[in-house]
Amino acid sequence: MTVRPTGYSVLRTGRAAVLLHRRAALVAVLLGAALAVTAVAYLCVGESFVRPAEVVRVLAGQPSPDEFVVGTLRLPRLVVGLLAGAAFGVAGSFIQTVARNPLASPDVIGVTHGAGAATVAAMTFGLAAYTALPYVSILGGLTAAALVYVFAWRRGLHASRFVLIGIGVSVALGSLTQLLLTKGDVLVAQQAKVWLTGSLNGRGYDHAAPLAAILLVLTPALLWAVRAQRTVSFDDDTATALGVRLGRVRLGLTILGVVLASVATAAAGPVDFVALLAPQIARRLARTAQIPLLGSALTGALIMTIADLLARKLFSPIELPVGVFTAVVGAPYLMWLIVRTRSRSGGAA
Amino acid sequence: MTGNRLRAEGLVLTYEDRTVVDGLDLEIPDGQITVVVGPNACGKSTLLRALGRLLKPRRGSVLLDGAELARIPTRRVAREIGLLPQTPVPPEGITVSELVTRGRQPHQKWWRQWTEADERAAGEAMDRTGTGDLAERLVDELSGGQRQRAWIAMVLAQDTDLLLLDEPTTYLDIAHQVEVLDLVRQLNRERGRTVVAVLHDLNQAARYADHLIAMKAGRIIAQGAPSEVITADLVHEVFGLACVVVPDPVTGGPLVVPGAPWPSG
Repeated sequence: MTVRPTGYSVLRTGRAAVLLHRRAALVAVLLGAALAVTAVAYLCVGESFVRPAEVVRVLAGQPSPDEFVVGTLRLPRLVVGLLAGAAFGVAGSFIQTVARNPLASPDVIGVTHGAGAATVAAMTFGLAAYTALPYVSILGGLTAAALVYVFAWRRGLHASRFVLIGIGVSVALGSLTQLLLTKGDVLVAQQAKVWLTGSLNGRGYDHAAPLAAILLVLTPALLWAVRAQRTVSFDDDTATALGVRLGRVRLGLTILGVVLASVATAAAGPVDFVALLAPQIARRLARTAQIPLLGSALTGALIMTIADLLARKLFSPIELPVGVFTAVVGAPYLMWLIVRTRSRSGGAA
Repeated sequence: MTGNRLRAEGLVLTYEDRTVVDGLDLEIPDGQITVVVGPNACGKSTLLRALGRLLKPRRGSVLLDGAELARIPTRRVAREIGLLPQTPVPPEGITVSELVTRGRQPHQKWWRQWTEADERAAGEAMDRTGTGDLAERLVDELSGGQRQRAWIAMVLAQDTDLLLLDEPTTYLDIAHQVEVLDLVRQLNRERGRTVVAVLHDLNQAARYADHLIAMKAGRIIAQGAPSEVITADLVHEVFGLACVVVPDPVTGGPLVVPGAPWPSG
């Protein structure tokens, strides 16, 4: 009898052979197409409408009368949104996998709030130059994650303790941020507030650059993670029995997730729900036994782009922070997710 | 020194600060079925976890081919020792065929995720366990017996000489219990796999074991062939149970019948 995991195809070249989940691949292609369409729509829409043909001309580098509006005003902001969305999606996928809890995401385990608190503190006390804020944000995210890790570590890292302590740290850091906003300068507080809700307004290539650079540096690690993610979805004993170095894999995935979420937060602000939603949506679309990484990245980018498109256009000329829209769309979906999961597990019992 | 592959020397096993196994020496006979029995919390599952490097010894060591297990890369151990925990948790939404092929994990590389050897081993594992018809079903949707067969297929696909099973018959009805144990015996007899199983049922242990280990309070009270080990005195000593040992009408081996004769009144 010949056996192959159901739904997978084997791609061979020479001695190399990679397993490909057919449905996940199809979903990725469709998501990519949807993302391309959305991106073009994003560049068309704004204070003035630009025809799609002109947008494509600008993207292709051909001279166009709309080059300034599309290429200089809208494109950098779109790029920040795409990269941050993808980074949030992948970060969420890692943290959810490690915590073995679909409700866990960088915002839950305190990463985004750590990044937020650090940035607001730096703004309030004028500790760092404007250009250094992204790195302050990353530092804050890593510190928060380290705090959670230290508190949750007791002869091993247990998923539920990890999430619970993460929520605690998250709440504490949120309060700290509020305190800073109240005590600090009103003008700075105003500025910080917009950043905190997550806004792509006025974001440009100087925000995209560190994000793109870090994503590029992390590429080998991400390739490792694609397969590593698969192995930690078992219980600890079974995974170890299969030869998985559980502690290292978990630590590696967690650090990757924290760095990605922090970098994305630095660029776009702590946009809620993207990291939480994207992996779960991607997984439900692909119907895989683990969260599909590429799908999560594409879904995250898609959510971010659509949300920012709505944020820019819906109440025009007033621009709302993108975080407001991800929350408005994300919160009901999250509730539906919880209700559905609970009723399903209740039905099986 | 004998040539047995898996041994333990001066093993001390603890959870937090509670000592569960204290100074235990053990040798698992190659090519045989070893069954560990004992009352609840006697340390038998703990011992099995240590033999499968899931629990690091506080002192002493588990030796595989003379090398300390804790020092061998876990992936290499996984190519020699397969272990099925008592209640393994499958990834959500995984199919039986994918679960079984995950057993190939320690043999695969990032750039070689699927080889003919993988295909052969997984196919054979599914054939032997009769899970071929379930290949496309979700593990979550299987009955207890089917699920256990799928898990066993996964450890078989791992293709290890040593197989550690922690109460593989728990949650199964009697027919499925016998089915699983017959399968284990078949693997041992036909493929020469060394098996160590923790079992609750003394009579099943007596029937399927070549080598029986009786434990109590973290110590080995007796070990050897079931016909020599199982006596009314030993059962009383280990389990605190009065019983009569009679010949098993099917195998002729020892059969434990609980209770002293009722006083005729």
